[in-house]
Amino acid sequence: MLTRTDIATPTSLPAEKPVVQLDGVTKRFGEAIALHEAWLKIVPGEFMTLLGPSGCGKTTLLNLIAGFLDADGGEIFIDGILVTETPAHKREIGIVFQNYALFPHMTVANNIAYGLKTRGIGADEIKRRVDEALALVKLDGFGDRKPRQLSGGQQQRVALARALVIRPKVLLLDEPFSALDKNLRASMQIELKEIQQRLGVTTIFVTHDQGEALSMSDRIAVMSAGRIRQIAAPQDIYRRPQDRFVASFIGDANVLKGKLSAVTDAVAQVTVGSLSVEVPAAPLAGLAAGADVDLFVRPEHLVPVDGDGGPAAPSLAGTVRTQVFQGGHVDLYIDLGEHAAQPVLLRSSAALAPSKWQTGDVVRVRPVSADLVAFPKQDG
Amino acid sequence: MPFSMRKSPLALAGILLVAIILGFVMLPAIVVTITAFNDKAILAFPPQSYSWRWFARALSYGDFQKGFWNGLIVTAWASTIALIVGSGFALALHRYAFSLKSTLEAVLLSPLVIPHFTIGLGLLILSAQLTVGRGFPLVVLAHVILVLPFVLRSVFISLQNLDGRLELAASSLGASPRRVLFTVTLPLLVPGLVSGWLFAAILSFNEFTATLFVSNQATQTLPVAMYNYVREYADPTLAALSVIYIVVTALLLTLANLFFGLGKILNVDAH
Amino acid sequence: MKQRPFIGWFVSPAALVALGLAAAMAAILQYSVRAYVPGSLDVGGLTLENFTALLRPLYAWAFWGTILLCLLTATFTLFLAYPVAYALVRVRSKALKSFILIASVTPLFLGEVVRTYSWMIVLGNNGFINSVLKSLGIIDRPLQMMFTTPGVVAALVHVTMPIMVIMLAAGLSHIDRNYEKAAESLGASPVRCFLTVTLPLSMPGIVAGFSTAFAWTFSAFATPQLIGGGKVNTVSTLVYQLGFASFNFPFAASLSLAGLVMTFAVIALMKRAMRPVERLGEQ
Ligand SMILES: Nc1ncnc2c1ncn2[C@@H]1O[C@H](COP(=O)(O)OP(=O)(O)O)[C@@H](O)[C@H]1O
Ligand SMILES: [Mg+2]
Repeated sequence: MLTRTDIATPTSLPAEKPVVQLDGVTKRFGEAIALHEAWLKIVPGEFMTLLGPSGCGKTTLLNLIAGFLDADGGEIFIDGILVTETPAHKREIGIVFQNYALFPHMTVANNIAYGLKTRGIGADEIKRRVDEALALVKLDGFGDRKPRQLSGGQQQRVALARALVIRPKVLLLDEPFSALDKNLRASMQIELKEIQQRLGVTTIFVTHDQGEALSMSDRIAVMSAGRIRQIAAPQDIYRRPQDRFVASFIGDANVLKGKLSAVTDAVAQVTVGSLSVEVPAAPLAGLAAGADVDLFVRPEHLVPVDGDGGPAAPSLAGTVRTQVFQGGHVDLYIDLGEHAAQPVLLRSSAALAPSKWQTGDVVRVRPVSADLVAFPKQDG
Repeated sequence: MPFSMRKSPLALAGILLVAIILGFVMLPAIVVTITAFNDKAILAFPPQSYSWRWFARALSYGDFQKGFWNGLIVTAWASTIALIVGSGFALALHRYAFSLKSTLEAVLLSPLVIPHFTIGLGLLILSAQLTVGRGFPLVVLAHVILVLPFVLRSVFISLQNLDGRLELAASSLGASPRRVLFTVTLPLLVPGLVSGWLFAAILSFNEFTATLFVSNQATQTLPVAMYNYVREYADPTLAALSVIYIVVTALLLTLANLFFGLGKILNVDAH
Repeated sequence: MKQRPFIGWFVSPAALVALGLAAAMAAILQYSVRAYVPGSLDVGGLTLENFTALLRPLYAWAFWGTILLCLLTATFTLFLAYPVAYALVRVRSKALKSFILIASVTPLFLGEVVRTYSWMIVLGNNGFINSVLKSLGIIDRPLQMMFTTPGVVAALVHVTMPIMVIMLAAGLSHIDRNYEKAAESLGASPVRCFLTVTLPLSMPGIVAGFSTAFAWTFSAFATPQLIGGGKVNTVSTLVYQLGFASFNFPFAASLSLAGLVMTFAVIALMKRAMRPVERLGEQ
């Protein structure tokens, strides 16, 4: 189980006052726990992503911050003020929904002006700020259209402009790009990041797409089954996952059967066959030497060892099962026999393969990275 | 009965069957139209000669004129009140949990199965007990009770088709609940409100049985006047009036179909 | 959400209307146990006489006859409305769809009096049917259709058709076409496919439509009164006569109450009885 201190450790946070702070926020729907004691601090200007599979509670967390749901426990602060009892319309939060939720009966300009009108701002000022917002999302001149006359990408920009024009304390985006096709999605990602950095607006972004999360975020909160598993910068999430779920959810991972041979405060020694590698000790806390562990190795950290000549570094022998040509590289699946339940995946430059190996060839492989992690062995 | 299968005998039989049934449905309207133009005062078929004179009589007959205006008054009040009461309750049903919710819903929908003469009789006795006369308020109350289920249904269906995130978006932009209601929810409900009101108005204008119980000479509506007429006279005046009725109603429905899609209003179109 | 803005504004008007309806029903309940004072609109003391009077042959028969009339009407309506609803949902042409919809739904909005009057012209001794038959030489003396039960049923079927079509079509329109396609691809003949897939899936619509047709027929007054012409007595015509001819409101109230209880009982029974039919498709 994660505790508050676990989560706070990995990245050094600037000691700024958080814009959004969640203290043990819990939400239940009937018997089911949709969110279990979420602790979260988001600093000014930060781009924080909530990443996790569908149904893990991301939208619930967002809705709690926005004030659309009431928490069953815990406290939410925005700008240091307790808002748990504040209704949504007084929280000053900008939201972009997955389906955009543009008001169909209003023009683009009136959609954007909506939040300004509720604040009783003068007509001239509203016009100026709406034009400014339209320019920001590169939709100058589209103000008089109705939302249904716009493409998906354009509607998305209007939604963004509408949320930003009120200068929200925090911008929330719930899977904003999942309805867009791949190319549009990539360009919207870049654009959003650009705008976010230019305005310096604190942002919470929800996605189930790890590529999106890794490329855009300052920090990522990985969620699963209503719990926040790890909060860290993208590189740290990828290189030093704190638990098994994070390690297997983010990126591809090969699981090797290892044994814990020695353990100190910081590092542990894990052996697989003749190999011996060092891993962080924290995830293995409580295990004694001799215990079975699962060693996680990223595909790009597994390399073939040249059989003839070369220094006889320790390695594992396996048989080539399948080769899959992927364009830039070749995915090589190698059966390691007793050392891994599943054939392991190795990425090789396409220039070498497929001529270099044949199915059935025996190859020797070894991990070459400082970023290996191991977790207590799990059945199945 | 797959009508889509071309030329299969089964399909042809199906088409024929539907045509015959629709013939049965439309037969009275056709017969009444022909009768309305019958020059003679006796109901006979087919007419020997034709004229417009029954239309003239229908439009100038005092009881019908009075009934028409009474009907308009009752309809305007009843359908408007039902619209306000019904949309409010539909909103509450859709959004909130509250005590007695399902009881209240069941009571308000019960006029769909309670015989109209029972409701009429009940209100009549009630008015006697409270010693209030059989004035317009009593007739309007009866009509509100009877048409409310239709308004409720129409508005509730529109609410279900309304994306709730629009309201959330509005409140996140700083709109108070009142502002959300008046700038987002209600404008988007307009088709449902209009069709609900139209339904209520048509049904109220045509309501007969309950009205027969709760109205008197001064408040009788057009259907009651027509009923009293049939009992006394057998000339085609009523046929002429019926034709006017049928034409106006079919026109209104065609318009409703054009603007709102009748299929959607009646919930017979899958989306 | 913890806040429920405007809940009072939304619910209280509806609660008032519900109260009015409940008060009217309570008034009936109260009158049904009061003694009839001949020649007066006031009522006497508490009595159960009004309910024992229901057992007199005239009323018992009228009651039973009304139930039969309702069942007959609802059954005929179901058989006539189903093909129309099916065509309405499945026909491809938009224009044809609109035509079927308007043709079958318009009568709903005409009101009972107009519709009943039209049927009087169709069924009358000098009416449409008799004239056609006579001119074709099939009959020489008019067939008596007015003031008969079949005549009343024909007109009542016409009254309940629109609502039945709407309810059946609502049910049918929510059945995924692919179920039928799947059944046919598995080798089911169109008839078998209809009986084992479409019909069971449309059962909720059938139950709703049948119950409503039953309740509407029970509620009908102008049709049995004008086309029945006193020869076909129903609960509704008796209640009216008791109220407005003899001013025996206590008895009218007890008759109404009995009718109400019966309506609810039949609807509940029907829902229960039709449940096994819904499982037809599982065999
Ligand atoms: N209004 C609700 N009522 C009941 N259960 C809900 C409701 N909203 C969400 N849930 C449940 O809570 C869990 C988390 O949902 P959600 O936050 O929408 O997940 P995500 O956005 O990560 O896909 C899911 O199991 C979902 O079924
Ligand atoms: Mg979600």
